[in-house]
Amino acid sequence: MYVLRRLPSLIATLLAVSILTFLMTSLLPGDPALQILGAENATPEAIAAVRSELSLDDPLPVRYLHWIGDALTGDFGRSYRTNEPVSQAIIERLPVTAEIGLLAIVIALAIAIPVGMLSAYRAGTRTDKVISSTSFGLLAVPNFMVAILLILVFAVWLGVLPATGWVNFTDNPVQNLRSALLPALSLAIAEMAVYTRLLRTDMIATLQQDFVTMARVKGVSNRRILFRHALRPSSFSLLTVAGVQVGAIIGGSVVIETLFAVPGVGRLLLEAVLVRDLLMVQGVALVIAVSYVVVNFTVDILYSYLDPRISHGRSSARV
Amino acid sequence: MAAVAAPDGISVGKWAHMRGHRRPTAGSWQRAAVAAGLVVLLLGTAACGGDGDGGGSTGAEDPQEGAVVEISEQGEPVDGGEIVVGLEAETSSWLPGRGTFNQPGVNVAYALYDPLMHRTEDGDVEPYLAESMEPNADLTEWTLTLRPGVRFHDDTPLDAQALKTIFDDYLTAPGANTAASLDEVTSLDVVDELTVVYRLVEANAAFPVLLISSPGWPFSPTAAAAAGEDAGARPVGTGPFRFVSWQRDSQLVVEKNEDYWQPGLPHLDRITFRPIPDEDTRLASLQSGDVDVMQSLRQSTVIRARDLDGIDNYEHLGSNSGGGTVNTSKPPFDDVRVRQALAHALDQEAIIEVLGGAGVTPPTTQFFSEDSPYWSAKVAEAYPAYDVEKAQELYDDYINDPDRSDGLPVGTQLSFTYSCPPDPSLNEVAQLVQSLYGALGAQVELEQVEQATWIQKMLARDYDTGCTRVGADSDPFIVFDAAFTEGPLNMTAFQSPEIDVQLDILRTTTDLAARKAAVEEIGLVVNENVPNTFSGGTLTVMAGREAVKNLAGWIFPDGTTGNGAASAQVMWGHVWLAG
Repeated sequence: MYVLRRLPSLIATLLAVSILTFLMTSLLPGDPALQILGAENATPEAIAAVRSELSLDDPLPVRYLHWIGDALTGDFGRSYRTNEPVSQAIIERLPVTAEIGLLAIVIALAIAIPVGMLSAYRAGTRTDKVISSTSFGLLAVPNFMVAILLILVFAVWLGVLPATGWVNFTDNPVQNLRSALLPALSLAIAEMAVYTRLLRTDMIATLQQDFVTMARVKGVSNRRILFRHALRPSSFSLLTVAGVQVGAIIGGSVVIETLFAVPGVGRLLLEAVLVRDLLMVQGVALVIAVSYVVVNFTVDILYSYLDPRISHGRSSARV
Repeated sequence: MAAVAAPDGISVGKWAHMRGHRRPTAGSWQRAAVAAGLVVLLLGTAACGGDGDGGGSTGAEDPQEGAVVEISEQGEPVDGGEIVVGLEAETSSWLPGRGTFNQPGVNVAYALYDPLMHRTEDGDVEPYLAESMEPNADLTEWTLTLRPGVRFHDDTPLDAQALKTIFDDYLTAPGANTAASLDEVTSLDVVDELTVVYRLVEANAAFPVLLISSPGWPFSPTAAAAAGEDAGARPVGTGPFRFVSWQRDSQLVVEKNEDYWQPGLPHLDRITFRPIPDEDTRLASLQSGDVDVMQSLRQSTVIRARDLDGIDNYEHLGSNSGGGTVNTSKPPFDDVRVRQALAHALDQEAIIEVLGGAGVTPPTTQFFSEDSPYWSAKVAEAYPAYDVEKAQELYDDYINDPDRSDGLPVGTQLSFTYSCPPDPSLNEVAQLVQSLYGALGAQVELEQVEQATWIQKMLARDYDTGCTRVGADSDPFIVFDAAFTEGPLNMTAFQSPEIDVQLDILRTTTDLAARKAAVEEIGLVVNENVPNTFSGGTLTVMAGREAVKNLAGWIFPDGTTGNGAASAQVMWGHVWLAG
């Protein structure tokens, strides 16, 4: 029922995203025909021929309707630049970005949860201060700088991980993980700092609640209190932000995938933007937007799992 | 390590005049290079397009000016082994006519395909895959004869009919990006099994140059027809290596063509080409051993690669220079005094410094670099030197002229826009240019225009002045015919009857002395009228581990020495890996 109630707003969001994506890419200056032909071959006749072949001279609404109509059937057209089907390009690239993104979130949570809990448990102590200032420091460092430093340390100096490149999971799972590790770590650092700060704040509040005091009085161990009693109610902000941060991770992947020469959707998007490969840009942007909306929709549903007291009606207001 | 060693079996020739380079000890320099890379990156020169020149020097001690080739002993060729090559960009498609082949793409193409013609170390164009190429008396027909017994990787024979099918169905098909450059060919006709004739609209002595690039890379027409829309993703050529696999933006793998038409080649078993767009991480990949050879077209990277230990550097200073373009169709730039004033006002040394090439990139004065046979001392002399007083004199003369071409009142200062693509180093250049022009009294507005838009604006002559690339490693006829005639590629709108006369000579003679004289005349006209200004040449490098040999030592089938690794492009069939 809840899913059905949310459906119209979801569809409206996606429709708006598709229109905006289409408009923004179509109104960008620069002629894709010129990019396709190259400056040396761009005679006015050749440009006109290519524009007509790609229907670039049709009015915008007509082009939008054609595009969205085909997109709904899974046909995003073919790239102007490479001639490969846009959907195929996205299907090939999405697992790469998803793997790096997921790995980044897992790494970030795996470090942030214990560290955030420790920080909350030791609130006000030197440990807390060190953790807090380290978190702020990491937040301030842009991911591309982190990436270069990681390459310097792990690839150039220590030689334990590859500096660039990608190995498919199906070709070699171990090498795949090695090639994903540095890009994921570059994305994870800032996320980790955000998660640590959030969890610390929420957990300090939780630890002051009556049921925690009651548990302490009953002689429950600190570890059990933290992990069994306090963590779940302290995870709302963390979960919300983890969902929202999916956008940051996708955005970060544009830079990180280019630096590490990884064939994900971020790099696909960047290359497509640079050469005005409109259909590719539109397809990728739409898929990213849909992924983002779906992830946050899922986060919404997860609230009820974390705290059954929360009604669906209330959580629907959160996104 | 020898400063310059003759690769086995090739002439030192071209490389002999290149100076050796003192190499600092490794380790700390490696770190310094990457740390400097980080700074460069923070300044934002990483990745994406721009005009190439970027970043600053790493502080290497007294970097040498011009191309430096420092390579280890080459030894005897060894068969076997595989290497990984880091290229600066991915290529859209591997099918000639569809793919846009810049330097990275040409590298892969030279593994998969063979060019019908290629350039010797002296700059001549000679048959490579073709057996011969002969013009008729008036240079309107070029007869190309193929070698017998050459087959594509799918076993289709390379014959005259194959060339015709490629020409008719792909290279000149609607939408093909080679159609415009082949516009001058009215037809390609089959003479016999191995001979074709290219019939041209008019004489063109430079026609064979075209067959060095993608219109001259035969691919299997049967394989292309079978692959249909996906032909660009499954290339089948005659080259020293066969296509194995391609994952876009990740890697393209090729393996040895056991049936290659040149006996004894290729030496390597396998090559993996990896596009690594970021300069810093590509260099780090070479340092960490993830790639064995790396290409760079940015002088800041070229300088840093010089300081790596255990790396052979094959640098090349081509005829591509940074520079400025002026729209001569628009007042006040239609007046030569204004153009000369603007040229004299430019401090080229300062601009080169801003571009990170101080002491490394020599100043440029003409379309062809000093390494080219077409370079002329006379033209160099004629280029407007940095002379503020002269610039001011010419500038004042124009603005105080009652008949000034922009129709503004006497004494009104010039006001115009200087456009550049959004590259940080170009942005700095633009600011410098703005201050230099501003010193004359001109009000200069800076405009950042995306590369694609900028090209479009220049093609439409919808601009005042701005940064662009000047010159090309092509035949002078092709370069000047595009730049200074009626055609759509004349972005400065500058034309001159004197240039037309000289272009006719370039078009109708193959005699080098006559052609040099014609190029010199054109250079003099250009430097007097300054539709273009120059801001230093562009160094390129192929940097490889010392074990990777003969990156520049390729030879023609008849033993003539080729043009090395010019513009960071390698003939991979000739490369070997020392044991």
